[in-house]
Formats: sequence, C-alpha cells, structure tokens
Amino acid sequence: MKNTIITAAFLVLALAGQASAQCYADYKAKQDNPLRLQYGIIELPQAACASPQAARTYAEPVIARSGWTLLQIESIFDETEFQRRSANAGAIHLRQ
Amino acid sequence: MPGPSISASDISRLGNRAVIWGIAAIVGVLALTAVLLFLNLPDAGAFNARVERVFIENADLTSQAEIKLLEILAQSGTAFSETLVSYRIVIFVLLIFATGLLVTSLVMIVMLIVLNRRMAMVEKQGLQVSQLVIDRATNSVAINDMEFKLTPAAVETLAVLAEARIDDEVLTGAAIEAVISGRQEIDCDEAAGATRIKRLRDTLGNQLISEVLVKNIARQGYMLAIDSKVILLR
Repeated sequence: MKNTIITAAFLVLALAGQASAQCYADYKAKQDNPLRLQYGIIELPQAACASPQAARTYAEPVIARSGWTLLQIESIFDETEFQRRSANAGAIHLRQ
Repeated sequence: MPGPSISASDISRLGNRAVIWGIAAIVGVLALTAVLLFLNLPDAGAFNARVERVFIENADLTSQAEIKLLEILAQSGTAFSETLVSYRIVIFVLLIFATGLLVTSLVMIVMLIVLNRRMAMVEKQGLQVSQLVIDRATNSVAINDMEFKLTPAAVETLAVLAEARIDDEVLTGAAIEAVISGRQEIDCDEAAGATRIKRLRDTLGNQLISEVLVKNIARQGYMLAIDSKVILLR
C-alpha cells in the first residue's frame, strides 16, 4: 500500500517534470557600486525556449527580483547540460 | 627737438589696460586648462564598465574563481579612480597657484615698465610734481611729499596761480595784483604782480633747493644730496 503511494508520487513528480519544459538558460548579470558579477542558470518555461530574445524577456524580471541586472543570455540548453553547468553557477533560478 | 609728449597719467593708464588684459588672458587660459582637465580625466565608472565588457565578451569566464578575480579587478580600478579624484584636486589647487603667480608676475612686470618710464621722465625733468597741496590756513604748500612754509602773500599768489591753472588761464602781472588786492585790473601795476611772482619764486625756490640739493642732516650739518660722480670742478 505504502509502496504504491510512493511510486505514484514519483510518477507524478516525473510526469510533472516531463510536463514542464526542462529547458534552461545560462546568463550573466551584475550589481553596481561596488561592481559584482554573476554567472547563473535559470529555468525557462516552454514558451521562452525558442530564442535568446524570448529567454531574455522572461529572465530579466526574474533576475531583477533578486537584485541583479541581466547583462546577457549566454545559451539555452537541456537537462543534461544543466547538470554539467550547475557546478559553476553562482545562482540557479528554478521555476516553482 | 622735444620727444613725443607722454604724461605720467598716460603711462599708468596704459599700464592698467595692459594689466587688465593680461590678467583676463591668464585667467582665461588657466580656466580653459581646468575645464579640459576635468573633462578628460576618466570618471569612476570607466573601470567598472571595462571589466563588465570583458565579462560579457568572454563566454568562458564562468567559474566562480574567475568572476571573483574580475570583481577584484573592478575594485582596484575603483580605488585607482578615487586616487585620480584626489590628483584632480591637487592639480586644480596647483592651477590656482599658477594663476596667482602669473597674475602677480604680470602686475610686477607692468609696474616695472611703468616705473622705468616714469624714472626716465623724472630724470629728464628734474622734478616731477605729482601732487600740489596749498594750505591757506597754515600758510604752507606741499609739493609731492615736501612741505614748505611760505609767507601769507606768497601763498596767496600761489593759490591765485593754481586757480588760474585749474581754469587753464594765463594771468598777467596786473591781473594777479588785481585778484589779490581786489582792485580793478586797469588800476593795477604790472610790476606789482611781477614782484609778487618774484617773491614767491624766492621763498619757494630757496627752500626747494635746500630740500632737493642742500640736505640738512639733523644735528650733523649740511651736505649736497647728489651723486658725487656728477660733480665737476674746474
């Protein structure tokens, strides 16, 4: 009984993960006075995965909310690349 | 042949104009220098902007250590720009000093030129009267800084002559006598006026010579107040 519940939960999580875009972008941001720099990764919704332009439109307010100014979107990539790059990231914004 | 006529007041007016133009030129040039100086020094944000560009342009500058290094670079740039600001103030203070010194030296040079010309004129004329004060109450007349005691009649004559000079008039002996005695000019004798002039010259001249040439040194005696080299004995 308990096993089935856990399996179901995992399944829901996995499905939810599948349903969400699984698309990420890495970006560069800054803070002024004194100058601070940040390399970070942000998870994008499906709609924003198409181009860096769309990613920028989505990412800018999200990053601004944490007090940083977006400088540039570097690239857009998938889950596996995310695992590789997250080691370097100074900040990771995941979607709730 | 007399040289071109130029008076002391002309010279000092020329000097004043030169001083005003010179000071204006100096202040103008140094103000321009200050403005250029302040415009051309990089501002504090220049270093940060440069570091930011390096960060954006290099795609592989992503590891935390590299980013930290870039931040430190930007901070040292900011520290350097603060140093630049203090340099700027030092340079500005030096500019103000330079302005002061240049203005002072210009005024000095113009003053030297004016004084030289005036000295040359004084040497030519022997005595230059730059101030003549007639005091009827104490019967004294002050020429430059030398004060002479005169007889009441001589002061009266001098005052009449001074008034005539102010009005740019030339008085005959008879006219002088008429003004002083209060009679009609026709009734006055030309010789009477001439006598008054002679008396004035005598009293003034004797004291003037005693002041300029034969100096009286208190409790020591008299001496010629001239350069010994100009004395020629035959």
